[in-house]
Amino acid sequence: MDLPVKMLTMAVAVPVFGAFLVPFAARISTPVRNALAVLLGLFTFLAAASLFTTVLGGQTSTWMLSFPRGFDLILHADLLSVFMASVSAFVSLIILIYSLDYISHYEGQTEYYAMVVLFLGSMMGLVFSANLLWMYVFWEMTGFCSWRLVGFFRSDKDVAKANKTILVTVFGALCMLVGIIMVYFHYGTLDLRALHGQPISLLAAAFILAGILSKSATLPFSTWLPDAGVAPSTVTSLLHAAVLVKIGVYAYARIFGVTFAAPDAFSNAVLYIAGASALVSAGAALIETDIKRIIAYSTVSQIAFIFLGLASGNKTAFVGALLYILMHSIAKGGLFLCAGIIEQNTHTKDITRMGGLFASMPLTGVAFALCSLSVMGIPPFGGFFSKYLVFSGAAQNGNLVVLLMFLAGAVMTLLYLVRLFYKIFLGEPAGHDCPKEGSYTMVASVLALAVIGLALGFLIYYPSAYAELLTNTLGVNLQ
Amino acid sequence: MDKGLLAYLLIPLLSAVIIPFAARNRPKLADILANVTLLAGLANLAWLALRPSIIRGEFADIPGDGFSLLLVAAVYLVALCVTFFSAWFIEEGLPNRSAYYSLILVSVSAMCGVVTTTDFFTLYVFIEVLAVTSFALITTDESGAGLEGALKYFFLTFPASALIIIGIAVMLMSLGSLSFESLRFFMASDLPAGPVTFGAALMLLGFIIKAGVVPFHTWAPDAYQGAYAPVSAHLAGIVTKVSGVYAIIKMATLLRFFDGRAQALSEMLMFLGLLSIAVGALAALKQTNLKRMLAFSSISQVGYIVLAAGLGTPLAIMGAIFHLINHATFKTVLFLNSASVEKSAGTTDMDKLGGLEHTMPWTSWTSIVALLSTAGVPPLSGFWSKLIIILALWEAGLKGYAVLALLFSIVTLAYFMMMQKKVFFGKKTPAAESSPEVCAPLLAPVVLMSGLIVALGLLFPYFYVYVKMVAERILL
Repeated sequence: MDLPVKMLTMAVAVPVFGAFLVPFAARISTPVRNALAVLLGLFTFLAAASLFTTVLGGQTSTWMLSFPRGFDLILHADLLSVFMASVSAFVSLIILIYSLDYISHYEGQTEYYAMVVLFLGSMMGLVFSANLLWMYVFWEMTGFCSWRLVGFFRSDKDVAKANKTILVTVFGALCMLVGIIMVYFHYGTLDLRALHGQPISLLAAAFILAGILSKSATLPFSTWLPDAGVAPSTVTSLLHAAVLVKIGVYAYARIFGVTFAAPDAFSNAVLYIAGASALVSAGAALIETDIKRIIAYSTVSQIAFIFLGLASGNKTAFVGALLYILMHSIAKGGLFLCAGIIEQNTHTKDITRMGGLFASMPLTGVAFALCSLSVMGIPPFGGFFSKYLVFSGAAQNGNLVVLLMFLAGAVMTLLYLVRLFYKIFLGEPAGHDCPKEGSYTMVASVLALAVIGLALGFLIYYPSAYAELLTNTLGVNLQ
Repeated sequence: MDKGLLAYLLIPLLSAVIIPFAARNRPKLADILANVTLLAGLANLAWLALRPSIIRGEFADIPGDGFSLLLVAAVYLVALCVTFFSAWFIEEGLPNRSAYYSLILVSVSAMCGVVTTTDFFTLYVFIEVLAVTSFALITTDESGAGLEGALKYFFLTFPASALIIIGIAVMLMSLGSLSFESLRFFMASDLPAGPVTFGAALMLLGFIIKAGVVPFHTWAPDAYQGAYAPVSAHLAGIVTKVSGVYAIIKMATLLRFFDGRAQALSEMLMFLGLLSIAVGALAALKQTNLKRMLAFSSISQVGYIVLAAGLGTPLAIMGAIFHLINHATFKTVLFLNSASVEKSAGTTDMDKLGGLEHTMPWTSWTSIVALLSTAGVPPLSGFWSKLIIILALWEAGLKGYAVLALLFSIVTLAYFMMMQKKVFFGKKTPAAESSPEVCAPLLAPVVLMSGLIVALGLLFPYFYVYVKMVAERILL
């Protein structure tokens, strides 16, 4: 086995199996357990990132384990999977570091770390799988991890929300399995490399789409995501920025972007669904008063922009969507981690009871502002370029109604984020005793994400060159 | 009769006879004898089927059809878990303790008889022995509920036996022989099938009642709820699977459902299978008693096996066998865990339980593994068997059945999530306050079985090769 293949298998195997070592490490001592969790995260990121050299050299690497009936476990590193894996693993790593302080005074930490690492490992497995069935296997594993993590606090309400999360996503996944079975019997294989460029029937595509929409919390399956906000902020951050929600987007890019040539009617339908999703959730974000629910609705809305880029059917938009995945992961991860600091120090999630926090939490405020600006798409932040490319691609596509829906959505994004920032950090203090700043590692984590968001804007050449290379090499049916 | 496997039948029978005498003065000896007998059998089986050379040769050297061997192994495994669990679960002073072990061992040898026999009359005899021992086992719990469950079992299972014997009589008259082979040859020929299929239909009806398939399922929840929890695990895990479901699969292969000679029977079985899946799952949603909910879950899972057996294609038979084994593993875990909960918290009423995960982490986690496997969540073993069943349905063009069977997994998941929430998560209730984790020997069987669930899921290719070999042998 040469080095890239080794790295590929380790990027999946180390976190998946390492997660089961976390309880044993916890037997030794708490620091050992925490160190193990962070090291597993770090290793995963490095292993995934090390594959950049291979794929940039125009090569791919593949590892295969033979299973009967064409259910082979195929791990395949190409431009798209390495990109997605690195982004996810990086944000997860930051979240793990942040967790060290954030989670340190709750019960059930061992399970928390084990589940986060397993989540990351399943995500790696999903991203690198080149077999639809194994994508489904890892897909369900992430569903299981999210169930345990959303129900972290274990009150009746938390567990009910966790059950809602898993039931909605598993229902979607079962629909997707129906679609996968259709593909299986139509082509006799589930190997995505062999299916490259094949047409897919509308019905099968619709079934698979149901799974994707349920995982990425797009209309009509969006309600579980705001409800999942009962979890600790690190978990919501993980779900929104690094793993769960991105799975849907990645699966769309993988299945309909670079494998199957989806029918036009299907892509158009996705555009309208995404447009409706962007508008409805942005509207909900404008009237909510719970900080985490606002950010959650914002995710639903932003995910719709990624779908816009992926489904528009031209290269500009596709490049924009890929950049959007990167920018949104960084910025949304930062926003949620800021929300975690705020929530933990003010002991409330209600923004009407905050106000004027900038004086006592200046660093968090700055990080929050930078991340918000990136999500809004203000130049020179990274978010600007991705949003610009998505819109210009959508304009080329020429569907005016969809374009107007998304423009309205973008304006609303601006409004609710400004409102959110104002209510939390500016204005008169509303009955709190000027809480202190978060701990050193927590603030450092959010600042790191905020600065990276800004830096990506200045260095936009590199990621966009990569995304263009990806689109030109792998894209199917793009103009 | 498959003579190579006769020892697995005779040795437990011998132990069952010895136990009452040996344990007269030393009650502990009953535990030891029962466990040692089963463990020795299991070790022997493992040597027979899991030697490296056998695995390398893709199980081609397995004697007989391989199906009997697999089921004998499942019987021994579940029975060993149950007896090991019982040794610590049932109080030492209980008067009919040695009788309990003898009954379990007799039922083990009866089950071995059922799965190794090659003619219908012997099958009938062993199924009757099994029915009588099960009846007696349910009444080991001398409370009112135990007796009620036993009576319900009696009133449904003995008419079923009557149907089977009438079916056998009809078959003897029309076919002239009772061996499995003659039925298989007959179905492969072009002779008109009328009276023979009528006899087979009567027998199938009897087996359906014994398997607890909807609409003949009403005895199962009462019997499983009323009996001692280890007895429920024994009944739900293996006894009803052998006396009912195994027989249905066997009939499906003998009647050659896959080439359409008994189309009506095949369609009826599939319909009842799907009905069981639906009714069992929906009824489980409403239960408040843990054991009763598990009983309905069992009905629903049996539905998958019957659905696959009714289809009868090689792939479907593989799925049915695979799911039968998986069902034995996960249902044993769940029932034994309900026994642990009952022992520790004193009740199985889910409304009174809650927050047990802090005090009983092992029980909680093994339950999670088993319930995820039941709901077909990958990569656990239950996922693969369900997937094979659904692929078989799809391949045969029954897309509606496939989609419905798949989507009922979500109902399965829903009631199990509810169970986990009520029993293990949430706030601690008064009942949960003083309930410590059960001792290690009680955990050992469930941990072993949970490990098996994970292993069967991850080592799916090996198991697939075995089951494929079995399906090829019994269908040719």
